[in-house]
Amino acid sequence: MFLAHVNPLQASIFSSLAVVSLLLTFVMLGSHWLRNYVYAFAAQSWMIAALSACVGYFAGYPELYMIAILTALFRGLVLPYLLLRIIGRLNVKRELHAVLQPSSSLVIGAFLVIFAFVIANHMNSQSLLASRVVVLALTIMLSMKFLGFLMLTVRDEAVSQILGLLVLENGIFLGSQILVPGMPLLIEIVILFDLLIVVACFGMLVRFLVVHAGTTSSRQLNRLVG
Amino acid sequence: MILSDVVLQICQVLCVLLLAPLLQGFILKAEERIQRSRGPSIIQPYRDLWKLFHKQSVVPESASWIYFIAPLIAFTAMLIVPILIPVLTDRPLPQSDMGDMLGGGMILTLGSFAIILAGLDSGNVYGGIGSSRAVMLAILAEPTLILVLVGISLLAKAMLPFVVNHLLLGSPSIYWSPAHLFLILAFFVLLLVETDRLPIHSPTHLEIYMIDEARILEYSGPLLALLKWASMMKQFILYTIFCNVFVLPWGMSQIGTSLGEIGSVVSLLAKFLLVALVVIVIETVQSRLRFYRYQEPLAAGFMFAVLAIVSSQLL
Repeated sequence: MFLAHVNPLQASIFSSLAVVSLLLTFVMLGSHWLRNYVYAFAAQSWMIAALSACVGYFAGYPELYMIAILTALFRGLVLPYLLLRIIGRLNVKRELHAVLQPSSSLVIGAFLVIFAFVIANHMNSQSLLASRVVVLALTIMLSMKFLGFLMLTVRDEAVSQILGLLVLENGIFLGSQILVPGMPLLIEIVILFDLLIVVACFGMLVRFLVVHAGTTSSRQLNRLVG
Repeated sequence: MILSDVVLQICQVLCVLLLAPLLQGFILKAEERIQRSRGPSIIQPYRDLWKLFHKQSVVPESASWIYFIAPLIAFTAMLIVPILIPVLTDRPLPQSDMGDMLGGGMILTLGSFAIILAGLDSGNVYGGIGSSRAVMLAILAEPTLILVLVGISLLAKAMLPFVVNHLLLGSPSIYWSPAHLFLILAFFVLLLVETDRLPIHSPTHLEIYMIDEARILEYSGPLLALLKWASMMKQFILYTIFCNVFVLPWGMSQIGTSLGEIGSVVSLLAKFLLVALVVIVIETVQSRLRFYRYQEPLAAGFMFAVLAIVSSQLL
């Protein structure tokens, strides 16, 4: 396996790229402005694209360059553009009625990172991959998933729910880039197109919400209407 | 000429004592300059202290012995901390093994605890408000401080600031590791909060915003001078820890010649110039947060400290 023998330079490049993308998730968690979410998501996607290019270079998988370009193009440019268009049309600028204040969600997020670290450490101690980069990648993958779930639970603006889903997916993608770099190109492309469909569907759903419920907050939908 | 260790230790304390007002003066002056006004002279804090020491002291009737003893405790605590940390030399000097980093943190907190008691003592309304706000901030800031200290001791495998300094000097890979960078960010948040800067403390002293100033409203004359001097020294000490232990561990005297000591004073001032400029930029671009949003920067600091500890486990 590639990760069993990375040299310190590669390890530090991987870990700093991964850690910066985790930090960008926290930026999304700690901010109330929808535009900031989208910018942080775009920056995170660029980080992941750089990561897959690095893995491709060091591990010798030329198809990862292709994936890096696709990631930067789709997740870094097209999806943020579509989201910004949705936000611009909806005329919502910020999350108004979040269940948790940004500070409390930051603290809960910090604890989720510790939880992810404990799980990753446990998983690593059972298999025999004694590499630190593996634990780091597992930790960041799990914590980005947890943070995505947290964003889905505590936010009720429709756009931030899309972003929660996208962060969740980014986490899985980041983990897979480091842990199983040789994933077939076709699967990656399918995932990328899936994401496009997710955003398009959500865009339609949001419009439906505005037309029929007169709001963009999903909290208004827990009432049965006959 | 190589100075003996005792002389060096005395020099460390004197350096903090005498240069602390200069740092305060520089920050005040530079802030005004950025806003395109002239600002007070850079040695104005010295003049203020001199004036206050020559004034008469007016004591409220309701004051008890705590009122008199609190400034002395605060001032003494700030004289003790420089013994424990690397100010001029990068090696332990006599008596620097009295306490580790947690001990130094405790003595720093003891000083502000004494001032909190003094604010409550005279029964003044503003003193009470100031003390209660200061306690709330302390409750929010203390977990981050403890976690930062734990994180840096996990990195260095020791609780002594000198060891941390040597470690960062010796291994660039640890200096640039995410754990250390997160610790710097977390400590920087603490630095802003503890040295009475924005986004929490207001630079203009109106009663509705007051936190630290409200606790010492009842004081006048020499006791007020002691309190002000103690808070300037606290700022100087925190800047020293931030520079010499966390961010810029370079440029400290190793052998202890008098020329080397002068050089390390100069380099200390140069480092403070850098940090103070960053702080001033933040003070200029940031507005003061609402009272109920005080926890946001501190929660970010807490998050950075937790991330630092998690990533220090992965080194």
